[in-house]
Amino acid sequence: MLERPYVTQYLTEHFGEADYPTLEGYERFGGYGAARKALTEMSPDDVIELVKTAGLQGRGGAGFPAGMKWSFMPKEGDRPKYLVCNADESEPGSFKDRILLERGAHQMLEGILIAAWATGASATFIYIRGEYAHPADQVERAVAEAYAKKYLGKNVMGTGFAHDVIVTRGAGAYICGEETGLLESLEGKKGQPRKKPPFPAQYGAFGMPTTVNNVETFSHVPHIIEKGANWFRSFGTEKSPGTTIFGVSGHVVRPGLYELPLGTPLSEIVFEHAGGIPGGRKVKGVIPGGMSMPILPAGQLDVPMANEFLRERKTMLGTGGIMVMDETTCMVRVASVISYFFRDESCGQCTQCREGTGWINKIVDRVERGAGEEEDLEVLADVAGKMEAKTICAFADAAAWPIQGLLRHFRDDFVEHVRQRKCPFAGSFEL
Amino acid sequence: MVISEQTRSKIATAISKYPQKRGALLPAIHLVQADHGHVSNECAVELAEIFEIRPIEVMEVVTFYNMFFDSPQARHHVYVCTNLPCSLRGARSLLNQLESHLGVTAPGETPDGRIFLGHEECLGACGYAPMMRVDGQYHEDLDVEKAKRILDSLGK
Amino acid sequence: MPKITIDGREIEAADGRTILQALDDAGLLMNGVDIPHYCWHPKLAVDGSCRLCQVEVEGTPKLQIACDTPVRDGMVVHTQNERVTQAREGVMELLLVNHPLDCPICDQAGECKLQDYAYDYGVNASRSKEPRRALKKNVDLGPTIVFDQERCILCRRCVRFCREIPKTGELAVFNRGDHSVIETFPGIPLDNDYSMNVADICPVGALTTKDFRFKIRVWFLEDVPGICTGCANGCNIHLGVANNKVYRYVPRRNDAVNDTWICDAGRMSYREIGAPDRLRECAVRNDSGRLDPVGLDRAIEVAAGRLRRLIESKGPGVIAGFASAHATNEDLFTFRRFLAALGSETSGLAVVRGKADDLLIKEEKAPNATGARAIGFGDARAVVDRIRSGAIDAVIALGHDALQEGLLGSETPLASLDTLIVLDTHASELQRVAHVIVPVRHAAEKLGSFVNAARRVQRVVPAVESAWETYADGEVIAKLGAALGLEGFDGSYDAHQVARDLAAANPEFAGIDLDSVGDTGRELVDSVASEAKR
Repeated sequence: MLERPYVTQYLTEHFGEADYPTLEGYERFGGYGAARKALTEMSPDDVIELVKTAGLQGRGGAGFPAGMKWSFMPKEGDRPKYLVCNADESEPGSFKDRILLERGAHQMLEGILIAAWATGASATFIYIRGEYAHPADQVERAVAEAYAKKYLGKNVMGTGFAHDVIVTRGAGAYICGEETGLLESLEGKKGQPRKKPPFPAQYGAFGMPTTVNNVETFSHVPHIIEKGANWFRSFGTEKSPGTTIFGVSGHVVRPGLYELPLGTPLSEIVFEHAGGIPGGRKVKGVIPGGMSMPILPAGQLDVPMANEFLRERKTMLGTGGIMVMDETTCMVRVASVISYFFRDESCGQCTQCREGTGWINKIVDRVERGAGEEEDLEVLADVAGKMEAKTICAFADAAAWPIQGLLRHFRDDFVEHVRQRKCPFAGSFEL
Repeated sequence: MVISEQTRSKIATAISKYPQKRGALLPAIHLVQADHGHVSNECAVELAEIFEIRPIEVMEVVTFYNMFFDSPQARHHVYVCTNLPCSLRGARSLLNQLESHLGVTAPGETPDGRIFLGHEECLGACGYAPMMRVDGQYHEDLDVEKAKRILDSLGK
Repeated sequence: MPKITIDGREIEAADGRTILQALDDAGLLMNGVDIPHYCWHPKLAVDGSCRLCQVEVEGTPKLQIACDTPVRDGMVVHTQNERVTQAREGVMELLLVNHPLDCPICDQAGECKLQDYAYDYGVNASRSKEPRRALKKNVDLGPTIVFDQERCILCRRCVRFCREIPKTGELAVFNRGDHSVIETFPGIPLDNDYSMNVADICPVGALTTKDFRFKIRVWFLEDVPGICTGCANGCNIHLGVANNKVYRYVPRRNDAVNDTWICDAGRMSYREIGAPDRLRECAVRNDSGRLDPVGLDRAIEVAAGRLRRLIESKGPGVIAGFASAHATNEDLFTFRRFLAALGSETSGLAVVRGKADDLLIKEEKAPNATGARAIGFGDARAVVDRIRSGAIDAVIALGHDALQEGLLGSETPLASLDTLIVLDTHASELQRVAHVIVPVRHAAEKLGSFVNAARRVQRVVPAVESAWETYADGEVIAKLGAALGLEGFDGSYDAHQVARDLAAANPEFAGIDLDSVGDTGRELVDSVASEAKR
């Protein structure tokens, strides 16, 4: 893994410094100044207003405005309030949170501290996916450093504000990245998402009011506090301000991470920054935002990478995991990989998701190996449709969308499998 | 007693960090697995006592998560990521070749119980594909030779 | 009280209820307003995973699950429009993709919610060409239940039941996704006092009872409403009857008595009805000490003769009676009148006691101890003391609980009694010393009422007829009374009339008769209030 993204901005510009992951190194570059400012010069409401004005959208895939989410936490009452940092990054194609944990744990902690001040939270649980053993070690080390310097604990920076951070590790289940699935797992149970309402702000971790935010979301916060909303809005688009860390993978010359403003055209990211497709081959399709997001075909890659534009193309920014597929790629094989993933990761509660992901995977595999009929494609689309908007959580939607996207733009690949009774793409990646 | 005093002490420390005891269950299972490699029925009974829940509630958690096991495991765990970005860069042919190299069909273990070879879903290393996770450690930017060398270096 | 409109019909609901609860409260669920559902159960916590109960709520863009949507005043709900119907069909089709085509060999057929809803709301033919998942089909979950993993639709009712009702929690869902499966922990089988209820609540044939397995097709069974006689709780049941035989008891919902549950022991007590040790013929002891089978008339004649002889020589004070908590109020009222008319001053109620719990199981192991006491029978110890003191020469015993309570046995000179007349359903030690034996009807064979431990009067109706001659206890006593020429006894016995007589004579039973109790029962009039009336 590289130390820093190929293109950096305010989030990752110092990641190349050897000591940046340590508290000392972080402070050398002005770290924890924003937290000090927030805790000593700003009221919690001021902080929330500032983050709202800045327009920071959550970076965990849903894009919900962070400031608004913080304002949902109850102001009155004596129940303890919690923050949860969702570091369960398991969306295929997404690997940005990992570098933020490895190299920028203090930046995230500073954002957490500011959010805690804003919401009145007494503790934050950082839930890190179990497979991220090394990043989790880095975070634990950073937390210990922060406690040692009294940036966490009973009397943060001498202000009287108390805040604890508990690092906890998952055990391998994608569904624990879903807000309420995470909360269930945090409580020591199976990560099965909860029915909503109640929402976490009313009933969250251990039954207490809770706000869940992504690693990257927290990481933007110190910069917003330090340099203001107008500065933050100087990056990105009007509706989607700031930068994000795009992860580019698949058939590109330079796969890796790129911190760029939201709204950067997808084609620029793929062909300029990531060097385009190796061997001079042509692009066939690109998934723009992690595997749950529908694919974009070759002709539609000029789209600015921000939700307001991607939605028009029937896809979304998600976690900015850009997966590039060249002309050799068999889209039915892609469907096979995708449908297997969703079948394996379904928690199994809801009928449509449990049975639908299984059925879709079986049909796709059968079509892929040449034993499908055209009517199977109708069934595929229909089953995917039956899974949308009718389940406890959005996993079923996330499972349905990619299949719908592939059928929408690459139906011919499927039809050829049916007609030729085999995969017609001899050069495609192996299954 | 299957769970050692030392591990019980670590579990107690973990429990003290959570507002409710049960919040420490996943950490406790990780700790127990670090000792024994899996959660046996006896172990589940002991964990149930510690957490004041039923043994079946421990086992339903163990069976839900990929990283928890309810039966004895091979000494070394090798997981090749076969999700989309990795597959696009040859992860599956890599896996096939490792299968031949070890004489195993994934998911499966070598007859001497030395290595378990399996596949996993996205591990957050998409830009450094193909890759594998060996005994918890990431090995990225692999080619077949490099991967084989890593497997061969795994001790008895 | 919020008012909501469902399919154009206005309903008033209680505060804090969900749509399904409100319909259930109003008696409309699946009975006027059809919202098919699997995972929801009126007596268990909400699960919300089957997704079948989706309905359209005006003003909310997505369909909502009716089991988890609280009613709001002015809410408008649609349950049968095209959007809802399509969503339902979607869920049904997906459930049927992996469900095995076991109907021909599955006990649940005929009372299966998957069959019912597939027929009403599903699609006719499956579009799936994929092989169904293959799992274990005959899992021994415990002493009472068999589990078929393939049939399970993962509604999780059984898991919730074990956790919430007996609170034993033996079941859980292991794994995830379409590998999910219900399991027990090795060495901890499904084994609690209420285990067989899981077969009732399982919407499909995944959980079935070993007792009923492969016995008979449910469409041959007539469901006769009745009351369990295993203890004083009086759980409401349906007796499953075919060919004049009771094949099973299943609980009948009564929110005032047993909700939707019954304990395993009570459920299995149907076996008493046709048990081999049922008394099948009247008998009288001859001079050489053996029992001769006789008809009822002869038995009455002999009994009356022996009692008359004693009355003439020593007076009626030497005759005592043991009431039975297995007898109906009508039987017992007749018996009470008989003893009074006879001039006997010694009577009492013996009832076997056992362990109780804080759910349904009551200490007294018979259905009508409260009724017997309300009718005026005191403790049986008084009778035993007098027998031991030698003051009693004749005993008329209803049932044999006095034996099991240890009140009668080798210490009491039962054998030295001049006359022992026994009216009973099943054989007992009393047969060895009785002089006259008359077989009487089980609760499943007669019309009458019981009063449960919560003072609720509940009725039983004849569900089957025994293959041999039997009589209600009251009927036998009435004939005995007539044979003795007692005032008020003409030999006839009509349970309805006796019930009315009891209501007239006893303020606690005021207004209660075998019609007015209905199928759900009625409480005895408050005794404090009725004391004031006396």
